[in-house]
Amino acid sequence: MSIEFIILITAYACGFYMSWNIGANDVANSMASAVGAKAITIRQAVFIAGILNIVGATFIGSHVTNTIRKGIISNEVMSDPHIALLGALAALLASALWITFATWKSLPVSTTHSIVGAMLGFGVVAGGFSVVKWEKLFAVVMSWIISPVFSLALSFIMFKIIVRLIISRRNASLRALNLSPYFIGLAVFIVILSFLFKTPLGTRLSLTTCHALLLSFIIAVCIALICWWFLTQKVKHSKIMETAESIFRRIQIGTSCYVALAQGANDVANAIGPLAVIYFIVTTGTLGTQVPVPNFLLLFGGVGIAIGIAMWGYRVMETVGTRITTLSNTRGFSVDFAAATTVLIASKLGLPVSTTHAAVGGVIGVGLARGIDAVNFRTIGMIIIYWIITVPAAALTSMILFKLLILLFGR
Amino acid sequence: MRLPFLTIFLSSPFDGLLEHAEKVKECSLLFQQAIECSIASQCRSFGEFREQVSQLEHEADAIKRRIRGHIPKGTLMMVDKFQFFNYLKEQDKVLDTVEDILDWISFKELPAIPNDVASDLRQLVDISMSPIEELSLMVSEAIDYFKTFSNKAREVVKERIRGIRIKEHNVDQLEKNLKQKLFSLKIDAVDIFFLIRLVEYIGNIADHAENAGDMMRAMIAQ
Repeated sequence: MSIEFIILITAYACGFYMSWNIGANDVANSMASAVGAKAITIRQAVFIAGILNIVGATFIGSHVTNTIRKGIISNEVMSDPHIALLGALAALLASALWITFATWKSLPVSTTHSIVGAMLGFGVVAGGFSVVKWEKLFAVVMSWIISPVFSLALSFIMFKIIVRLIISRRNASLRALNLSPYFIGLAVFIVILSFLFKTPLGTRLSLTTCHALLLSFIIAVCIALICWWFLTQKVKHSKIMETAESIFRRIQIGTSCYVALAQGANDVANAIGPLAVIYFIVTTGTLGTQVPVPNFLLLFGGVGIAIGIAMWGYRVMETVGTRITTLSNTRGFSVDFAAATTVLIASKLGLPVSTTHAAVGGVIGVGLARGIDAVNFRTIGMIIIYWIITVPAAALTSMILFKLLILLFGR
Repeated sequence: MRLPFLTIFLSSPFDGLLEHAEKVKECSLLFQQAIECSIASQCRSFGEFREQVSQLEHEADAIKRRIRGHIPKGTLMMVDKFQFFNYLKEQDKVLDTVEDILDWISFKELPAIPNDVASDLRQLVDISMSPIEELSLMVSEAIDYFKTFSNKAREVVKERIRGIRIKEHNVDQLEKNLKQKLFSLKIDAVDIFFLIRLVEYIGNIADHAENAGDMMRAMIAQ
């Protein structure tokens, strides 16, 4: 058995473990508000989140691994395939270890940041500080700040709009019903756009930006109208008095799906990116400037996430669902919408943004719009500290592991 | 589990506020019975009522402490934190006053008073109780408002506050009249002191209810 083979097997195991972890812990990002608001049961949430994570990972997930690997450290380090191989493995192991530690200690850290930190650590050991592309690193760090802020602004505005147009009005439930196609349409529009811009399907259709926009718009309008029709039927035949919140409960199921999809698309790269690099080196023996991510690896990551959700997500959602009762449906909708939109836009730009952070940003936004009874801003400060700690911690672990791997397998 | 979500959310302080208001309401019913009993001669169950009120006061105190304990530094609330605490303080003072009155009555046998004064006293207690009973309604209406921010719901709360204010005014009028009557009574000076103080105490209840209403008005200000 060659060394490469052992490394590949280890990488598969780690990649699976990472994706399992994303599913197990981060499922709360997408489904927590819907479960908390009793829009869906935990069983339904597990099922929906699992399927949509697989779909998001396989179809919208990035087919080339880019920013995470390349942006932060320069190509020189990666010129030697053997070093690159060990480096990618070290990074994967390091982030898996850090994530395990964080889960054990209940620290709210992001998988995205740990993998970026781990990559950085290995790069520094392999090529010294000169290989670090500081401006790229700076851009990535900025995106961590920008994405929660963007999500915050989006959820703030969305909630204010809902208050102004719907819930503060006299005939709130009727208005909610009549305006629902706009909200649904907006969400669908962004999903379709990201499908068109990010997937091989989009490239195969070779649409211009203008056409893509038009096509997404048309599909969004159609889906929005269909949803509206269904919603109207449902509400008409419903026995209980419908309120704006109960109508948004139904819409919120849709937005939760939206987050799950975005999460699958975005977060799968964390687990699969380094694995794809290792896979490429082992199978071809070379290393290009960009590494393609084969479909089956994306599917592998998606399935890993889904298994994580099925095995552990249950417990997470039970905990979260019973505790987050102050997040009503209109609030949950605003949070979900902001988080998913942020993640999809960021992943379109190739930035390693964390779904967790986008979701936290969304909650803060609604909180600032005075939509939540009580939000603890001090723990938000703690969360930010962990965002910052994650990178050096993962980097340090990765450095040590890389040294060890060089000792074991190095020449 | 690593759940950044969980730590952000705090349990709603308004739920606690409503619970506290319910306790106040429960207390007011007991208080009314206790007063009725003590005005009627040969009251045996007064001690029991007093015991129950003090029990309720303890429970309400526990709720108050729980609310305060679950709002750590750095909490962002829907309403201004200080207004919220001030409201809670006023609502709690209603209970404290009720307890004080029962203590006061327990110090001394209620002197024999003419029937019309007795009926005035009963009436005073009656109308002092109604603003208190409305506190819990006001809180639940305010919760409705915070859910929707609708003008309609806000008007409902404002109407309730107005109602409490008017009732407080009525209590004041009655209190004044009653005091006048008491001074014209030909009874022992100590008894007069005792009764005047009692009437003042009872009047305080509605004052605190009105203060609570004012605080609520500040909380729902746009």
